[in-house]
Amino acid sequence: MGKALSWLLGGRRPLASHLLLAPASLWLIFLLIIPAGGLILLSFAKNGPYGAIVWEFGLHNYARAFDPKYLPVLFRTFAFAAATTIVCLVLGYPLAYYLTFRAGRWRNALLVGLMVPFWSSCLVAYYSWMIVLGKEGLLNTALIRFGFLSEPIGFLYTPFAILLGLVYFYLPFTVLPLYASLDKVPRSVVEAAYDLGAGRWTAFWKVTFPLSLPGVVAGCVLTFIPCLGDFLTVEILGGPRYYLLGNLISNQFMMAQDWPFGSALTSLLLAGLVGGLWLYQAWEKA
Amino acid sequence: MSRKSGGMAAYVAALFGFLYLPLGVMFVFSFNDARRNVVWRGFTLKWYKALFHDAELMSAMLTSLELALAAAGIAAVLGMLASYAMVKHKAFRGRGAYDALLNVPLMMPEVALGVGILTFLVRAGYELDFMALASSHALICLPYTVAAVRARLISLQESSLEDAAMDLGATEWQAFVKVTLPLAMPAIISGALLSFTVSFQDFVTSFFVAGIGIVTMPIKIYSMMKFGVTPEINALSVCLLLATFLLIGLNAAFAVRPDEASRH
Repeated sequence: MGKALSWLLGGRRPLASHLLLAPASLWLIFLLIIPAGGLILLSFAKNGPYGAIVWEFGLHNYARAFDPKYLPVLFRTFAFAAATTIVCLVLGYPLAYYLTFRAGRWRNALLVGLMVPFWSSCLVAYYSWMIVLGKEGLLNTALIRFGFLSEPIGFLYTPFAILLGLVYFYLPFTVLPLYASLDKVPRSVVEAAYDLGAGRWTAFWKVTFPLSLPGVVAGCVLTFIPCLGDFLTVEILGGPRYYLLGNLISNQFMMAQDWPFGSALTSLLLAGLVGGLWLYQAWEKA
Repeated sequence: MSRKSGGMAAYVAALFGFLYLPLGVMFVFSFNDARRNVVWRGFTLKWYKALFHDAELMSAMLTSLELALAAAGIAAVLGMLASYAMVKHKAFRGRGAYDALLNVPLMMPEVALGVGILTFLVRAGYELDFMALASSHALICLPYTVAAVRARLISLQESSLEDAAMDLGATEWQAFVKVTLPLAMPAIISGALLSFTVSFQDFVTSFFVAGIGIVTMPIKIYSMMKFGVTPEINALSVCLLLATFLLIGLNAAFAVRPDEASRH
């Protein structure tokens, strides 16, 4: 027994390594690879009556995804992901800069503080935003109290609420890679720029910012890609009028019972993900 | 200098205000004696009392705890075995593929993962039960445990404590039980705590993969929200938030500092 275990742990044979990795592989194969493969296969099938699946292969589900009824959803998903990425980058860069160069002994506390809303349930945070943004919510009450408004505005279920929710949730996704790459900028290089007579802004734009570009790109990728598949934000803060790809997919599986069409939409989402990561790697190598 | 970074500090404070506003709102209004949320009508603990008398809620809490324990346990075992092979074993064919694959659950959109598992299990004729959901959660947690344990094993490798044990005549199995496992334990626990948090607050995967009979806490909260705003959710959220703080604190206590292991 002890001998067999020692053989397994010693790992002088590839078989031992594969055996130790077997349990994790089992999970990956049965809950990731086969389900993803199954969805792709299903996306070429046809939807029969009562949600039955007819195995007649064709591209009709993909054609349907691009017809005028659903094209706006794809477009909107892309637009919201892009807008979220830009807003997160603009808001997050100064924060990452502050964390790296100015926070001093508060740095670790602030980094953990940044992650706490992310680790607390997104559902619960969005519920709170409903209270803030609602017709009788805090924001309206405050605006009326201070005389900026005479009538309450419906902030909830608008593109503004969706963007706010997305930015709220994805901000750490942008800030952490930015922080990681700013932290790698050698202080001596920045100081050299100062010594050579560069002002604050010149030193930033000519030295610090170009050196932080890998973090900018990584932050954008890590925000944009998960945004494409976001489901909860619109479900709670947006409502059916602003359905994004994730909500449309969910609808096909949970309500409309059109699994082949839902699979085609999911395949498109996965294609966007793989394409995005591929572009990112190509950029990294270049 | 100080004036300029003062402006920046104010900006950072405002941004943190934005991040913590919802948490603050739920905290304040969980003590508010009014059904309508926005007007303050005095301090009360009745929403907290109501929580503990809500049998459905308590059973959802129990389900979520069991689920998170199961998922964290499975992910810890899978992650430990996988990272041991990745770090300790000499290079073998397919290591790069495993490496890439183990990170996929992190990048995979949860909606795609959820509908994929749902479709597969239903087509395979498998009933959506507790085990199915726990296994799905374990898959999402796997990258976290692998990352935590792997970092620790790499730093242990540098300290060559295991080699010393084996030079003194220990078999690989003895060296593992007496040296590697105890030293890797903080990382395993830290990974398990992260997994627990991930599973406990997961909504999207549970939304798709939980059968009709399984109601987790986030699913229960979601259905309460659909019925309308009730201050009970605030009280519940505060409890969950405190639990999250506790878990993050515990995790910080167990987390491996990169320089720590190589100092031996």
